Amino acid sequence: MPIKEYDVLIVGSGHSGGMAANRLTASGISCLMLNAGPEADYEKDRTLKHAYELPYRGFKQPGRLPHVFQANEFNANQWVDEKEVPYTHPEDAPYNWVRVRLLGGRSLFWARQSFRLSDFEFKAADIDGTGENWPISLADLAPFYSRVEEIFRVTGRKEGWPQFPDGNFVETTFPPDTETIKKFTEVATKRGIGVSKWRNALGQNGLASSINLLLPDALETGKLDIVENAIVREISVDKNTGLASGAHFVDRHSLREMHVKAKVVVLAAGTLESTRLLLNSKLANSSGVMGRYLVDQMYGVSVVASVPEARDGKARPGLMGGSAFIPRFRNLTKDDKRNFIKGYCVSIGSGGGASPNLFPLYGAELQAKLDSYEGSCVSGGIFGERVARFENHVRINKDVKDAYGIPVLHIEARDTDNERNLRRDAADTIEGLFKEAGWEIVGKTDEVNPPGYSIHEVGTCRMGNDPKKSVLNKWCQSHDIKNLFVVDGASFVTAGWQNPTMTILALSMRASEYLAEQIKQRNI
Amino acid sequence: MKRRRFVQKLLAAPAIPLVAAAAQEAPKPPLAPPPGNPTAQRTPQQGQAAPRLDTVAADVACEPDRSYFTPEQFAALEKLGDILVPPLKGRPGARDAHAPEFLDFLLSVSPADRQGLYRHGLNGLNAEAKKKFHRLFSELDSQEADEILRPLFVARPWDQDYPADPVKKFVAQVHEDLRSATMNSREWAESLAGDRQRGRGFGRGAAYYWKPIDPVVRS
Ligand SMILES: Cc1cc2nc3c(=O)[nH]c(=O)nc-3n(C[C@H](O)[C@H](O)[C@H](O)COP(=O)(O)OP(=O)(O)OC[C@H]3O[C@@H](n4cnc5c(N)ncnc54)[C@H](O)[C@@H]3O)c2cc1C
Repeated sequence: MPIKEYDVLIVGSGHSGGMAANRLTASGISCLMLNAGPEADYEKDRTLKHAYELPYRGFKQPGRLPHVFQANEFNANQWVDEKEVPYTHPEDAPYNWVRVRLLGGRSLFWARQSFRLSDFEFKAADIDGTGENWPISLADLAPFYSRVEEIFRVTGRKEGWPQFPDGNFVETTFPPDTETIKKFTEVATKRGIGVSKWRNALGQNGLASSINLLLPDALETGKLDIVENAIVREISVDKNTGLASGAHFVDRHSLREMHVKAKVVVLAAGTLESTRLLLNSKLANSSGVMGRYLVDQMYGVSVVASVPEARDGKARPGLMGGSAFIPRFRNLTKDDKRNFIKGYCVSIGSGGGASPNLFPLYGAELQAKLDSYEGSCVSGGIFGERVARFENHVRINKDVKDAYGIPVLHIEARDTDNERNLRRDAADTIEGLFKEAGWEIVGKTDEVNPPGYSIHEVGTCRMGNDPKKSVLNKWCQSHDIKNLFVVDGASFVTAGWQNPTMTILALSMRASEYLAEQIKQRNI
Repeated sequence: MKRRRFVQKLLAAPAIPLVAAAAQEAPKPPLAPPPGNPTAQRTPQQGQAAPRLDTVAADVACEPDRSYFTPEQFAALEKLGDILVPPLKGRPGARDAHAPEFLDFLLSVSPADRQGLYRHGLNGLNAEAKKKFHRLFSELDSQEADEILRPLFVARPWDQDYPADPVKKFVAQVHEDLRSATMNSREWAESLAGDRQRGRGFGRGAAYYWKPIDPVVRS
């Protein structure tokens, strides 16, 4: 007999699971949270070291984490080990799946860029003439975004641009723009391209995680229990009612098999792990679209220019330094005719040096070049929207199992001409702006990292009003099983060019409060 | 998984009937060793009671055994270190930082495709040196070496984009690796910190290292 019975089982402890626990326990609902990995101890598990003190001199262990380009020898232990929990992809279509199983998930390490989606994304089908709209609009989510922004203390400059909805920002004073940022802004504005500032979550004490902003309050209610090292392998179903009844999980250390009962199951395992769990449980897929419409953003396209008057040691603080941010500016009106749909944002940084890879030189000659360019460079890169396509999908690969005997995911995502045309436009546009500013182009590429690299994978259980075309309804609730919710990025219909976490948090908050209400009214 | 479950089942099944087992049950050992037991492990209650001592990294005190590259390949790698990453502006060069020795180790534990890239690349440089100058690459003067190397360098605006030609790709890779191995070396860190103190004094260039977090031990 289990010691306790819970109203809600939450799988995952990241931003989405943390928010679910926070909102549900605030309504007096008892929750059990299962998390696949352990809790990190920032005092004991982390230590200052020089690269030369590590076994591989800062090169990570060869062959380890081949798909995690973000991994190095310092942080290798924070990511999910690809040998422990592998996945497969076609040889010609690499996919970078970047995961964290520690308590708090990826919220421990995220870069905290914080944007709202706009109706250009929620109602994308109306604008693109293809795809599906979300079943909700910005107006539905705006009150939740506001509350999330308050908890996460988001900074930003208000612009009043419909494609870049303003938020409930904490008071921020931005330092005055340097001459290069001013020049760039002037050139871009002349072309009708709006230049703004980054929007960032400050969090508290340098951490904007579920473990400091969401879970402590939930634990405080006495209504939440968290079990670490609990790897859920399958959602269980009551044969009589067809409803979810709990989950089977395995203890990471002892490999002991366990089961937990709950009246409601909330999945927050981080988009693809939630979908993997559902596919392995063979549940909630009457639509046949589960695993489909996997989408994320293209990170890359790099244009580097050097400001001539800042070269050879003449880069002064008032001239170089600072950053600028251009939210999507393509395809905002019907008469903006391009050879691609959707758009991209541009991130501009001023004041760095040039990468040695930009010059076919070596030794003293290379060093002289790097010294000359030091501090004089301005760089531009993009986050470009990919199109959510049926073909881009995940499915279970029955032939491969992880260290816990759980069948792994096969991930298949490819870019098409739309993505290639979009990034060509981006590289040419940034190059044009830099040239117009009078700067020397040092490097230009329209290449991007493989899909998944952005760590913004969303979709695969998309929401919608039509149960034949979507897995979840607008409350992140399964169309098929009413006591089953998926509150992470799996519900996304389109990805947008925006980093997804503010939207994940707002959706989880909205879904969890809806669920709390349904439980109160005994509808679930 | 199935196999493991099966094994677990076997383990779970009692080998002898339970009643008999109970009768045979040995007395349980006491939870804590009796006081004064000379074989009992004893350890201080407070962690601080045990001082932390300074230690040095093995390669501060010892020579690494080279094991991977042939003498000719290794000599070419050292020569590449001298040419591509020479000591400049008070910073150590690749040879000062023992970067070639480190790469000899790194390549010995690297995946086969990376090993092939290096072996093929170093052999290629030696072959080209023999063809052009009738000597090994390591025996060339800097002008001769430059004649071979310069055409193999290409600008790479995209970091992940290596040239298709295997020797050019090797040159891009070994340049990057020699630079990193040099800049990540103890010698480099000391030149930055400006003090030659060893041990636990963290100067510039240190970063947070995550240890294995609650690692699973399986036999
Ligand atoms: C380096 C980095 C930078 C980023 N920068 C940004 C940024 O600037 N802006 C932005 O918006 N986003 C950013 N992101 C992405 C952001 O972190 C994620 O969108 C967000 O944290 C996802 O939260 P989540 O709760 O959905 O999933 P996760 O954080 O992945 O949490 C999932 C949890 O589920 C658990 N789990 C998984 N499988 C199981 C199972 N079978 N059983 C039990 N538990 C399971 C895991 O242990 C994990 O804790 C970044 C991510 C990284 C890593």
